[in-house]
Amino acid sequence: MDFSDLLIQTLINGILIGGLYGVMTLGFSVIWGVMGVINLAHGEFLMLGAYMAWVLNKQQGWEPFLTLLVILPVMFLLGYVIQIVLINRIIEKPHLIALLVTYGLAIVMASTVKLIYTANPRITTTQFSGYWEFDFGGFVLPVTKTLVLIAALLMMFGLYFFLNRTRFGKSIRAAAQNKEAARMVGIEINKVYAATFGICIALTGAAGMLLSPLGSIHPFMGAAWTLKAFAITAMAGLGNIPGALLGGMMLGLVENLLATFVPTVGSSVGIISSFALLVIVLVTRPQGLFGGLKAPQEIR
Amino acid sequence: MGRKILDLIRAIIFNRWVLAAIVVLLFLMPSLFYAREWCQELDAFTSPLQDSVCTYLIEEKPVTNAVLLNFTQLFILIILASNWNLTGGFTGYIDFGHAVFFGLGGFATALLMGSSRWEDWPALFSDWSFWPAMLGAGIVAAIFALLIGSFTLRLKGPYFSIAMLGTLVATREIVRASSNISGGGLGLSLPVYLNRPMFYYLSLVMLLFVVNFVRWIRSTEFGSSLVAIREDEVGAEMRGINTTLNKITVFCISAFLTGLVGGMWAYMNTFLDADIAFNQNRTIDMVMMTMLGGLGTVAGPVIGSTILYWLRDVLWANFLLFHQIFEGILLIIIVLFVPEGIMGLLDKDSSGTSLNRIVKGWFKKEPEEHPRTS
Repeated sequence: MDFSDLLIQTLINGILIGGLYGVMTLGFSVIWGVMGVINLAHGEFLMLGAYMAWVLNKQQGWEPFLTLLVILPVMFLLGYVIQIVLINRIIEKPHLIALLVTYGLAIVMASTVKLIYTANPRITTTQFSGYWEFDFGGFVLPVTKTLVLIAALLMMFGLYFFLNRTRFGKSIRAAAQNKEAARMVGIEINKVYAATFGICIALTGAAGMLLSPLGSIHPFMGAAWTLKAFAITAMAGLGNIPGALLGGMMLGLVENLLATFVPTVGSSVGIISSFALLVIVLVTRPQGLFGGLKAPQEIR
Repeated sequence: MGRKILDLIRAIIFNRWVLAAIVVLLFLMPSLFYAREWCQELDAFTSPLQDSVCTYLIEEKPVTNAVLLNFTQLFILIILASNWNLTGGFTGYIDFGHAVFFGLGGFATALLMGSSRWEDWPALFSDWSFWPAMLGAGIVAAIFALLIGSFTLRLKGPYFSIAMLGTLVATREIVRASSNISGGGLGLSLPVYLNRPMFYYLSLVMLLFVVNFVRWIRSTEFGSSLVAIREDEVGAEMRGINTTLNKITVFCISAFLTGLVGGMWAYMNTFLDADIAFNQNRTIDMVMMTMLGGLGTVAGPVIGSTILYWLRDVLWANFLLFHQIFEGILLIIIVLFVPEGIMGLLDKDSSGTSLNRIVKGWFKKEPEEHPRTS
């Protein structure tokens, strides 16, 4: 395989993984945009979804993509309850409180999962594996990654449709733009918040399932994914769905290019590149690259 | 009534004689350790007093290496929490990656003391003795803080917190990846030096220095400008405070002290790798202990660390498997229900620190309370 073939194959892989990054970011970005809460337990919710997929796959023998039918409602309920019990109390308080509470939540979730399933890395096995080869140029499309991209795009489109075309989605956007005015026109803010949190957690859990056949999952993988979600959100703007997709693909491309063409960095490249991207974007364009529900500067 | 009890507790804690007695006792404690060693070397006891004291020391073992190590670890935690409090509490920049300076200090000490696994490591920077190596660790941490802080300290609020968390995670990965210097998964081993009383005294002296230093900083104009930055950064800038310079200065000071402690810890531990040195839990410890004691107070980190260290010991001894879960729940409870910390509770409507006046006040007739009109 010569250089241009390698480059094109790397770009394909970057775009395929970018869809996963995009859908993984949405939950984080919408929660931040609507409630002003930075959810440091985001990566742990992802991990929870991945572990649910793994349990159903290994112990019940389900196809991983089918487990979405269970993961989405269960994670929605979990998010709804956590919002009512915990997050509602801290929305009005300074951001430090929300950071610390969600950090505490992250510790509890990670150590509970470690207690039950030990810290061994796990992976789910899907029937849709192998490669689709093309006659021209000899490029290959990994089947699992392509399915993940399709599922991610479907979920993103679903959320986009929900937020922009349905009545409830409009009330969520109204609550994000002006809480007082939304309350005045009769929107029940607490219910809207709880449903938003539930939907975002359900999406995050689903993204965890999409991740489970691609790479190993373990109880302490959360922090790295929270950081990636933060980097992409900072690039895309809060609650900006096409922006999240673009940002995710950008991160995927950067990661894959670095991993292919810079030797010796190996597996740690993802975290370093997302960190570098984060700092560069934050320092040069603090309002985000594409704009969103709100400029991040307005959030206090 | 509750207020009176809190006042009494506060007055006792801050009484200068009580504080002096605690410090003297802490300084004298290792002497029991040495006395036991001296007793063990004696062939026969010459007097009944000596007999009873030595029998007690040898059989009961009141101060062992383990006790000294426990105290040293507590002192290290207090120093770290006090350092974190300089940026997190006074300046209001919540740093989720402060452990990066601790880890860098540890690695710098290890490398300067000549434990590098790389043949091309410059000879000038190896085989140093401990003291210059520890100083070098502080300087390395401060330089790193200058480099990283001049970018990240321009970010506001949560952006700073996450950027620092990113710094910690990325630094850990970079250190782990550069395995010919850091040893990668094998880690580095330092020259073995197992003199527990030495480390105990070193950390005690550093603890006294750091706490008094933080108190001194709070009393200077520089300290006031830091608090002004926390309360209203734009306002502080308009009053002519060079906010960026002040933030970077305090960040570097805090990183320098954290690096020193990291160097001492590495030498005490005699082994380190990327996961131990850049442990995320250390940052959580700093945040939790300062929050529990009271953010932005001098005594807060000391009280918070002591209580949490003791509590963790109890949890560890009784619920080994669940202690991490309990810790997370504890963090949530502290933040939700006592966000101002123990010092905040003690300071609210307090009637001063003079023990004398407080005790006298108990015997005076209380003035009738008038309902407040507003």
